Amino acid sequence: MGNPIVFFILAAIAIAAAMGMLTSRNAVHSALFLVLNFATIAVLYIVLNAPFIGMVQITVYAGAIMVLFLFVIMLLGADKLGGVVGEDKWQRYLAGFLAVALVVVFGIVLAQGGGVDTGTATAIDSSPAALGMRLFEGYVFPFEVTGVLLLTSMIGVVVLGRKKRGKDA
Amino acid sequence: MPDVTIDWYVALSIILFAIGALGVLLRRNAIIIFMSVEMMLNSANLLFVAFSRHLGDLNGQVLVFFVITVAAAEVAVGLALIVTIFRTKQSINIDEINLLKG
Amino acid sequence: MRVITYFFMNAFNLAPLILIFPLIGVLANGLVGRRFVETDRKTGEVWSGWFGSLMAISSFVIAALLFFSLRSQEFHAEVIYLFDWFNVPSAGFRIPWALQVDTLSVTMMLVVTGVGSLIHIYAIGYMHGDPDFSRFFTYLNLFLFFMLILVTGSSYLMLFVGWEGVGLCSYLLIGFWFDRVDETGHPMNATAGRKAFVANRVGDLAMILAMTLTFWTFGSLEFNTVFQSAVELFEKGHMVEFGLFSASLGSVLTAVTALFLMGAAGKSAQIPLYVWLPDAMAGPTPVSALIHAATMVTSGIYLIVRSNVLFEIVRASGSLILGVISAPDLVAYTGAATALLAGMIAFTQFDIKKVLAYSTVSQLGFMIAAAGMGAYVAAMFHLITHAFFKALLFLSAGSVIHGMEHGHHEIAHGDHHDDGFDPQDMRMMGGLRHKMPTTYVVYMIGALALSGIVPLAGFWSKDELLSHGSDNNFAVYLMLALAAFFTAFYMGRQLKMVFFGEPRHAAAEHAHESAPLMTRPLIVLAALAALGGFLNLPYFTEGMAAANQHKPGGIFLGLEGWLEHSIQSFELTAEGVLHMPHTSVVMSRSVAGLSTLLALAALAWAFYGVYGKKPKTADERDPLQSTPIWWFAILPLNTFYMKGVIPLFNRLAHWLGYALDWDFWHDFVHNRLIRDPFVGFANFAADILDTQGVDGLVNGAGKTVRRLASVIRLSQTGYARNYALSILLGAVALVAYFLLMVN
Repeated sequence: MGNPIVFFILAAIAIAAAMGMLTSRNAVHSALFLVLNFATIAVLYIVLNAPFIGMVQITVYAGAIMVLFLFVIMLLGADKLGGVVGEDKWQRYLAGFLAVALVVVFGIVLAQGGGVDTGTATAIDSSPAALGMRLFEGYVFPFEVTGVLLLTSMIGVVVLGRKKRGKDA
Repeated sequence: MPDVTIDWYVALSIILFAIGALGVLLRRNAIIIFMSVEMMLNSANLLFVAFSRHLGDLNGQVLVFFVITVAAAEVAVGLALIVTIFRTKQSINIDEINLLKG
Repeated sequence: MRVITYFFMNAFNLAPLILIFPLIGVLANGLVGRRFVETDRKTGEVWSGWFGSLMAISSFVIAALLFFSLRSQEFHAEVIYLFDWFNVPSAGFRIPWALQVDTLSVTMMLVVTGVGSLIHIYAIGYMHGDPDFSRFFTYLNLFLFFMLILVTGSSYLMLFVGWEGVGLCSYLLIGFWFDRVDETGHPMNATAGRKAFVANRVGDLAMILAMTLTFWTFGSLEFNTVFQSAVELFEKGHMVEFGLFSASLGSVLTAVTALFLMGAAGKSAQIPLYVWLPDAMAGPTPVSALIHAATMVTSGIYLIVRSNVLFEIVRASGSLILGVISAPDLVAYTGAATALLAGMIAFTQFDIKKVLAYSTVSQLGFMIAAAGMGAYVAAMFHLITHAFFKALLFLSAGSVIHGMEHGHHEIAHGDHHDDGFDPQDMRMMGGLRHKMPTTYVVYMIGALALSGIVPLAGFWSKDELLSHGSDNNFAVYLMLALAAFFTAFYMGRQLKMVFFGEPRHAAAEHAHESAPLMTRPLIVLAALAALGGFLNLPYFTEGMAAANQHKPGGIFLGLEGWLEHSIQSFELTAEGVLHMPHTSVVMSRSVAGLSTLLALAALAWAFYGVYGKKPKTADERDPLQSTPIWWFAILPLNTFYMKGVIPLFNRLAHWLGYALDWDFWHDFVHNRLIRDPFVGFANFAADILDTQGVDGLVNGAGKTVRRLASVIRLSQTGYARNYALSILLGAVALVAYFLLMVN
């Protein structure tokens, strides 16, 4: 499953980018850190023998979605609304504790080597053609439903984004 | 030099997930909260692909494909909502949106 | 032909229809009848009334089919199971809903549906023009439904369902004109209905206690099971365990039967609960005829006759109530005392329907007394004939009232001037025999039948129970004979005041005969009242009886031959288990002669004696209170009678009618002792228990929830972040559990 050195470098970049997103006071910086994070994950996908998903990740996530984010940030001028939650500090501590607990729980499980089979299968054909065949063989109905979902969300966005006449005018 | 096993990917994706969760819980900017949610989705995707490779099963990648599609739809609607909220409240500070208070 | 034969022989599967028909009538009239009548008065009344009547007639047809079916299979009783009402297998508690079809219940069905059908038809004419025409027929059909449940039920619980149902219908129908008020603005009809309802509740309480005891003792409420195990346990000398103590079966059944008597006293208007029945005359006259004379009030007699085995076991066991009197004897004396008391009270009444009402109480006393003496067939016989002639009398009285109202309407020319006219007051009537000839003739037949004149129905039935009394309980016999004498007297008085002499009010002069729709049922009933006695003729001589081995045969003792298949005491007496009092099947000439003589004398006395020339005007005092009774003058004891017996008797009757019955019984006992504490308790329950206790509980629960909620709602901050945090908390906890604990 890839070269350890490559994995460590990519993992370090991904975590660092995530931390950067979390801590930046400027929303634009956060968005750019997230793009970096998505890009490293896309590379990991390619390493994991999933080139099609990696490309989709780059085009849809790092491309389309993040551009949308940036547009909205700039449109609203919300880039400077930084900082973390104010008054109730207990909440921050609890959130931090839970995040750490989550990581520790999994750490314990992984350290025990329990649960997960470490055997490695041979690489399979995961070309776009093979993926497409699998999609249309076993997932036709979900695929169609997803199409309807996209259409619905598109209409929803148009309705929501429209300026209400007589109110703003 | 040890081989990269599935455990490594699990660890990475948990760390990314925890960071995303922290973002959701700690930040005040609705857009950043939203981005954190996207990162949590991505950590799950990573795990899917890793297990797909690990088990030699293509279904994991198909699921990731669906998740990305749904996430795209979700982002579109979510951002539209944020824009609408901003229009009415002139703010996207999550602390000012508490109409559900009992 | 074979199909028809089969149909007649096997109508048992049709038995549920007898209940379904009236129910259809209730639904039809209750749901759409009103709209029908309001849309088009004339055709609406025809449809609504005839539909209700048709349902009653259909039930009668079913009852007749059951009659033939029973005959064809030699009177063998059938229990037709419909469904389980209650079933608690773990407690062994099962109450099936089943119909008991035997000769006794079919007799009751025939009476109820037969007389009921005639009264339905009569009511179409009587209720003509009433704004609540369809409501009336809804109630009538509902009554029929419950009454049929009462008589067809195969268990005490089903009987009780009907028992309560007819009580409800009685209440609804007494208060049918609930918006009518008297001079003081008091809603008298509604009050009368309530009084009947409450008086009946006292009896119902006794019924519930009796059923509880029965269930405790026998573990069942089914008639057949109860009677069978009662006999078995009695033969074994079984003791009934009550936890701390045990009692013999005889004493337990004494309590049960005494409670049954209490229940019957409520429903059949016996001392001490008879007070509701005279007031019940506030209802429309067909109701008085159907419910308060012919059918519902007889359900107490039905209950006692149905429970004959229990009563006879008590008699055979020799258990006494407080060591004084046995339960069947108590029944007999209660009935006889009621017959006597109500008969005397009837003397003082001027309301044509109230006379008949007290007469009904008195006649019910006869039946109860007969049942208490063990003359179950005689009780049922009198029940049937009484249903015929008392329904006839009430309906004729309704016809008279109708005629008087029309006469009054005519002289008033439409404008309502209230001159204190009361269409039911006999003092306003007189001379109606020329105005209402049909009514007069049928009324005459009914009155003579009630008085016990040969050969009308009342003679045979009254004679049978009198001769039973003279054989077995002479004290009761004397009381009943005297009551029979009173019966003839007040009927003579009524005949004279209503139909003879000169009209004492302008309304009586202008009275009209009623419509054929009303008089035709009267003619049918008159025929029944005249010929009903042939149902159960006694043998006239010893020789005839001996020729038939003292068993029913030919035209003789038809009813006894029919009913003995349902009254198990006959069979058990023949087996020597029980000792039912025996009556000769030969007519007792001395008893019959004496009672006929007494009846004739009383009629004559009332007719020519007391009311011979008087009253001439409506304001005149009742001659009963100031009597120069001429034919006493020829006797040497004239002075004694004149100064002693007669005034004493008059005063006694008057005192009974007003001081005892009204002041003491109605006002003091019922109002002071029963109503006031009850009202007081009701107020306590409403004001203290309810507002402070129950409301406090409810409000307290509400307040607690509110306080709790105000604490919990603190967690609902409205911040999405807090909700997300709790989701994460749960997620981490679940993940930790599954990953760490499960492995």
